[in-house]
Amino acid sequence: MIFVRIWTLAQNTVREAIRNRLLYTLLFFAIALIGTGVLVSTLSYVESDRILQDVGLAAIRLMSVGIAIFVGVGLIHGEVERRTIYTILSKPVSRVEFLLGKYIGLVLTTWMMLGVMGVAFACVSLATGAPLDSGHLACFFLIGMELVVMVATATLFSAFTTPMLASLFTVGVYLLGHLSRDLRLLGEQSDAGAIKPVVSFLFEVLPDLESFNVTIAAVHQLPIPTGEVLWATAYGLGYATLLLFLASYLFARRDFR
Amino acid sequence: MHILGGIVARRLGIAVILIAVVVLTTAAHRRLPSAVRTQQGDDYVPQPQFAKAMSLGFDAVHADYYWVQAVLLAGESENPQAESKHLGRLIDVVTTLDPWVEHPYRFAAVWLIDSLDDVRHANMLLRRSFDYHPDEWRNRFYLGFNLFYYLEDNAAAADALEEATGMTGAPTYLSRLVARLRSESSSLAAAGLFLEELVRTTEDEAAKADYQSALDEVQIEWRARQLDEARENYEKLHGRDIEFVEELVLGNQAVLSALPDAEPSSVPASLRRGSKWLLDDETGAIVSSYYNRRYELHIDEHDPSRNRVVSERKREAPENQGEDSDGV
Amino acid sequence: MASEVSEVVRVDGVVKDFRPGFGLRVKRVLHGISFDVKRGEIFGFVGPNGAGKTTTLKILMGLIRASDGRAEILGSDVRETDFRKHVGFLPENPYFYDFLTGREILRFYAKLSGVPAASREARVETLLEWVGLADAADARLRTYSKGMLQRTGIAQALVHDPDVIFLDEPMSGLDPIGRMEIRNLILRLRGEGKTVFMNTHILSDVEMLCDRVAVIVHGRIRYEGRIESLASEDGRMSELVVAGIAPDIAQRVEEEMQGELRGHGERIAIRIREKDVGDALQLVLSSGADVLSVTPERAKLEDIFMTAVEADQRDAAGDGAATETGGEAVR
Repeated sequence: MIFVRIWTLAQNTVREAIRNRLLYTLLFFAIALIGTGVLVSTLSYVESDRILQDVGLAAIRLMSVGIAIFVGVGLIHGEVERRTIYTILSKPVSRVEFLLGKYIGLVLTTWMMLGVMGVAFACVSLATGAPLDSGHLACFFLIGMELVVMVATATLFSAFTTPMLASLFTVGVYLLGHLSRDLRLLGEQSDAGAIKPVVSFLFEVLPDLESFNVTIAAVHQLPIPTGEVLWATAYGLGYATLLLFLASYLFARRDFR
Repeated sequence: MHILGGIVARRLGIAVILIAVVVLTTAAHRRLPSAVRTQQGDDYVPQPQFAKAMSLGFDAVHADYYWVQAVLLAGESENPQAESKHLGRLIDVVTTLDPWVEHPYRFAAVWLIDSLDDVRHANMLLRRSFDYHPDEWRNRFYLGFNLFYYLEDNAAAADALEEATGMTGAPTYLSRLVARLRSESSSLAAAGLFLEELVRTTEDEAAKADYQSALDEVQIEWRARQLDEARENYEKLHGRDIEFVEELVLGNQAVLSALPDAEPSSVPASLRRGSKWLLDDETGAIVSSYYNRRYELHIDEHDPSRNRVVSERKREAPENQGEDSDGV
Repeated sequence: MASEVSEVVRVDGVVKDFRPGFGLRVKRVLHGISFDVKRGEIFGFVGPNGAGKTTTLKILMGLIRASDGRAEILGSDVRETDFRKHVGFLPENPYFYDFLTGREILRFYAKLSGVPAASREARVETLLEWVGLADAADARLRTYSKGMLQRTGIAQALVHDPDVIFLDEPMSGLDPIGRMEIRNLILRLRGEGKTVFMNTHILSDVEMLCDRVAVIVHGRIRYEGRIESLASEDGRMSELVVAGIAPDIAQRVEEEMQGELRGHGERIAIRIREKDVGDALQLVLSSGADVLSVTPERAKLEDIFMTAVEADQRDAAGDGAATETGGEAVR
């Protein structure tokens, strides 16, 4: 029963996205960006295949995380603001179920968008003769795992603050998540004794989003070890679960005034 | 009528103000430097590590950005060598952000030749590539060329090339080139082999043309040296020097069956000038009227950047010239 | 089984504090309220705006957590969720996912409420028919009028055939026909044996519909009891309208029966205690005057309401020391 309810909420979240015109605008924009890769690649007289795919993958990552953040931060807040949550929670739906349903729905939505952008990427690659192989598949899969973490982050902030603050926080986590390895390196090279523990603490607490970034390996067709993909998956799922636990805890204590 | 006139006057006034603002804005924009920041000078190129941290996972596309900047800079410059420092910083960023790139390393080797520092920088970048492209013989070939041609360190050049021999795609004559470099005698042959390969593999058209003209000179020099040999034989045989070059093939006691072409083989028929072999008025040496001078590998008037690099290096370390290889 | 409990809703000493802003300052909006709702009754929860009606209802619906006290529906703590399959809720000015059609939204709520798949479609169709949205069932809610949204709200509240229905200001923003429809619906629900809890500040609706009321003012229950019981109280008044009454008769009515006279000339309205109506009629008729009408005055809820508000103001003036928690009628 609980799974039926969560699934119903998730389905409905997906349906909301599908019927939202904004999403199509973003999708169109993303595909246009993938297309500009063709243009940019002509600026270089060599390795244009690589540049084409670099630009395409960057566009896909940027747009999909953008969708995850900007749809995700309003996810809970919108329901409270528009009071749609009132009737839903008056049904035998717990707050945790509600949160999970919305979360899963948004993850599925971003995955669908990722899929569409992936098809566009494959089409452009095939049309220009750029190589495609299992590395690209692994790359897309890991982008999907990054979305699992980013949507959970957006959901967490959305569970207790306004969309404005939630997007600031989520964007902050995204930036720091990609910086955390550099931060750790900085800490290791630093002479100040106090910095090192702080930085390594941050490294452990912040999501290490570079774990999900194998774009360079995919584009250069370098080997991507299966073990690394599996560990990254485990890391992403585990991290997202922790975030959702925290989000549920905060969300369950909220008053909807 | 009066009211209508007022409305028209007001609309006209608004239109005039709007046009004035558009003109002003455009004029102000025109006065601003319009070049992309990274094109404005090497100071605008970030430190590689900083650029890497700031790309937040978008390293590859960031690398592409700086690569395109480098290509545009080289493409739009009259004399890309003069932009060596700037190009070097750009390529350093590119290869830090995405060390698996292929061409930028050789691009650096081709253009970073304005000063000794530039050549050393290029060599550093080429060595960086070895970790990421362990099987790429061309990068070692370019390093070998730099060591031989600019740093005149034949031993180090031979070492670099030796590693390249046997790698997939490496030409079989590399081992011959290594032998030549080790023997230290046949620099001209080594230069010819290097240049032939560079002409064959360089993607950049401007650089290719430069290499081709250097190769052409080496080719003519090679033929001139054959004629020098024949001239010696003639002197031994006839007890006197030639008065004109054709004597080498005249008569039944000719030392050569035919004179070699006095113009480089790469010159197409349409551009041929009918050049001849002559005796130079001043030095008496055999020269082609195509160049009217002899080629000297180590003092090449036509490759000022090389001369500059070489003299710079000699000033820096006159006592141990030839041992330089590890620029940073 | 929860449905065996005779008190469908039990609120016992519920306190709610809000923290406006981030400080330590606490604002108490419910001061330990208590009341019960019995099976099968229509219960009116009445109070002026800002009294705590909606806060109480949100606590019952699990949207707000009580700071102290206990609230139960059908014997389950309101923080649980399972019992909610027997509960329907219509919020004030309901708003739903406007990207869904009427049919889709009912299907959605039916699934969430655990209506079995086998009977779901039929149930949805029945309700669409019932609230008169069958024709608009495939239009997006975005295109619905306010009245249609209200009917959608009713349909979603009933889609799982609940035993208890909570309505928050169900008449607000509706036109007279809409209000009549809702009144008929509530009466129909009572006919089916459902329990209805209704938040409202429109007293005429309460008078017309409710079996029992609780009056809340400034977070305190000021009255809880049956509406009919008010009718049997002493001091109920009636109004006589008479024509052609002689001045001396009028004076006697005024003096002997403490009647209040209004109007002059031919027609005069006399307001007297109900127990004196018989005597007055005899007196008037015997004097040869005409009696045009006799109207018993029902005790207006408004009076209770006003009494409660006045009591609250007295408490506030008297330092509010009296914190009676949900007693019987005030005063």
